Amino acid sequence: MSGARLTIGVVDYGAGNLASVARAITGLGHRCRVTRDTETLAAADAIVLPGVGAFPAAMASLHEHGLVDFLRQQARSGQPLIGICLGMQLLADMSLEHRLTAGLGLIPGRVRPLAGARWHIGWNTIEIDPEDALLSPSDGQSLYFNHAYAFDTPPPYCIGVSRLADAFTVAVRRGKVVGLQFHPEKSQLAGRLLLKNVIEGLCRA
Amino acid sequence: MLEKRLIGVITVKDGWAVQSIGYRRHRPLGRPEVIAENLDRWGVDEILLQCIDRDAQGGGPDLALLERLCRRGLSTPLVYTGGVRSVSDGVRAVQAGAERIGIDALLHDDPHLAAELAEPLGAQALIAVLPLSVHNGALAWLDHRSRLSTPLAPALLDVLASGAISEVLLVDWQHEGVHEGFDERLLALWPMPTLPLIAFGGLSEPSQLRGVLERPNVVAAAVGNFLNHREHAVQRLKQSLAGLPLRAATHAPLDPARAWS
Amino acid sequence: MAALMHCRRCLYTSAHPLGLMLDAEGICSGCRVHEEKDRLDWAERWQRLESLLAPYRSRSGETYDCIVPVSGAGDSHYIVHLVKQRLGLNPLLVTYNKYFNTSLGIRNLANLRIRFDCDLIQQNVNPHAVKKITRATLRDFGSDYWHCLAGQTVFPVQTAVRYRIPLILWGAHQGLEQVGMYSHEDEVEMTRRHRQDHDLMGREADDLPTMFDTLKESDIWQYRYPDDAALSAIGVRGVYLGNYVRWDPKAQHEQMIERCGYRTAAFARTFDTYDHVDCWNYMDLHDVLKLHKHGYSKVTDHACREIRHGRLTRAQGLALVRRHEQAAPQHLDKFCEWLGLDRSGLGFLLDRHRNPRWWREAETGRWAFAGASTTAGEAAGVTMPPASAVFEANDVLAHDGIDGYITIGKGHP
Repeated sequence: MSGARLTIGVVDYGAGNLASVARAITGLGHRCRVTRDTETLAAADAIVLPGVGAFPAAMASLHEHGLVDFLRQQARSGQPLIGICLGMQLLADMSLEHRLTAGLGLIPGRVRPLAGARWHIGWNTIEIDPEDALLSPSDGQSLYFNHAYAFDTPPPYCIGVSRLADAFTVAVRRGKVVGLQFHPEKSQLAGRLLLKNVIEGLCRA
Repeated sequence: MLEKRLIGVITVKDGWAVQSIGYRRHRPLGRPEVIAENLDRWGVDEILLQCIDRDAQGGGPDLALLERLCRRGLSTPLVYTGGVRSVSDGVRAVQAGAERIGIDALLHDDPHLAAELAEPLGAQALIAVLPLSVHNGALAWLDHRSRLSTPLAPALLDVLASGAISEVLLVDWQHEGVHEGFDERLLALWPMPTLPLIAFGGLSEPSQLRGVLERPNVVAAAVGNFLNHREHAVQRLKQSLAGLPLRAATHAPLDPARAWS
Repeated sequence: MAALMHCRRCLYTSAHPLGLMLDAEGICSGCRVHEEKDRLDWAERWQRLESLLAPYRSRSGETYDCIVPVSGAGDSHYIVHLVKQRLGLNPLLVTYNKYFNTSLGIRNLANLRIRFDCDLIQQNVNPHAVKKITRATLRDFGSDYWHCLAGQTVFPVQTAVRYRIPLILWGAHQGLEQVGMYSHEDEVEMTRRHRQDHDLMGREADDLPTMFDTLKESDIWQYRYPDDAALSAIGVRGVYLGNYVRWDPKAQHEQMIERCGYRTAAFARTFDTYDHVDCWNYMDLHDVLKLHKHGYSKVTDHACREIRHGRLTRAQGLALVRRHEQAAPQHLDKFCEWLGLDRSGLGFLLDRHRNPRWWREAETGRWAFAGASTTAGEAAGVTMPPASAVFEANDVLAHDGIDGYITIGKGHP
């Protein structure tokens, strides 16, 4: 490992499997704090926002734990934030899943149903903007997806797409806020390398 | 491009991983978490954890097993099936580490309740597990509890057509454990061509696997017993299936820091 | 905890550490797979073996066709007889030095290599590391044998990679033979996963430094399995002859005693005199630990095997088990001296590993046993085995009067 050990906070807000994300982080040699305590999260080198399930329930949970304003504030102050799967979608302005729900609004755009397919399940290749230093080493790699909604966001925020019939956004970035639609913690070696590049790239920049 | 999947199945009975033959006979294999770790290292595309005694024991999903598996740091997507009887069972199984869950007995008893799981989890996280056989030229659907087979129920087909469930695990239960035993008539007789299928049961030989995976509505093939018979079983199968849209085989790279060689 | 279930045919129970399934008739998976031995066409299976081996036969005669892991006991003589004399292969024998070697075992190993005119290489891991590992494994999970199992199962694989000899030939598969883990027709081969799960009780070499502060990588690297990439590059494959030959250890050993000079010894803790004669611990300290942890011991494995081969009834087997399984160990002092433990320290460890499912301390220092044999049913009145099941000894462990652990034997040209 080419640098000091980082401390990564993983937001525990009751939506998703935290153990796998935490193990992926510690497997890279970093410390992991799974918590909803804002002080601990603020003190970390980066925050990871995981998530599985439906957008409205996840946002309701974040509100309930007083994390919405906190996450917005931390992101705006420059603390690295990585959203995974539903966690990426939560970065958007809003989602159409079930009912129109406001998101964290950290990256412009909205979440809408996939076009031309009811869901996206399995391993698919990602096409990464060659300008993005964090993710471009993973261009062309196959990662694991399991979702039915996609985050529409324009360039420069959309930095990676995948395709079914048409292309849709699978990676977003605005400053130190990064979103990944796939599950890097469940994508074996390709996922580990990608997660390593993102975490270490964001924290050591 | 979205790839087809080779799924490794771990069948668990009384907490022990087993080989399962014809939904009837069982042979002990070992600890589920050790087998899962091995499949993970071999690079299988998904792991299906199938707990077959949960309904009999009335205990809901085996959350403790899911948690043990996750603690070992599996980096392969996990599908869990066995004992999911309610929405909260399904949600708990996902929180304990499964990406997707399978429902079997509940589809016989209350298919509409099964569909309700799509609300918190999403249809992409729901799989219908259907043990099928051919009887008088038509599909027969097994209830593993009574061991009785009936035609596919209209209520089941309605739920499948509604989009609440994303994939069907089509199990040739009679030929489980039989080399090259998968009955392809099951695929030919399947009445919903737009619903993605995972074929399972007696798939051991590359030639048969290739034929099954070439079908447009088959998105994955699941292999259970046969992955335990040889070293690198997953990689061998993938290598022999070259040319199909399947993720390539991997062998963990030699670590130059390891001094013994 | 689930109730203990007994097989109606043999003496195994649902608590078997390898796992055991009982069917609707109360017959266990091990007995069901054993039935295949009388059903399969073994001539046809021998042909399958010949076909499987054909590509591995060296054309030049200047390299080994295969690796055969051996010891001074077990089925090694019979395996080498099959490989060299019946299959006409040119094997490289490999053996792992267990340290607990009897002089009879040293003599048998020399006999093996000389009688069959084979090349043999032996791995000796340095005693400092072996003792450090054994202190840790004994204390923590009651295993005196981890280093032996780890070494015996990995040295052949490492040799396959280092010498570029892909084929390793083993005898019978323990999981298949004891609990019917596989059908003979599965033609199961060696896997790292099985070694980790069963031989090593879940702990591979790299797990040990994580578990024990006293162990570092420099103590354990010799027991590390080769990487998948290395195995795949060489095409390493471990094949079990027991999938192609009707395996009957008693009959096989008797052939080797009669024709190939294999020598045997009696034990207090079992009626079988043919196996395990190379080790002071296996039928002694190791067997006591097995009884403490698992509620049964090796004599039950021997009895089950003989019951299934039709040479003992279940009741006769049970009588033999009850006769032998509480016999006192006789060689604990040798182990204590080797490891630098005192007897009371070892006694403390032995008690610590008594599983409360099988043992209750009735009064201080006196233990009541409630293991498998106590609920197995009726034993035969007579405790001597019938003629068909008699095992004779033609030597003793301290062959030539040499007692104690022998690390390297000499005087066997």
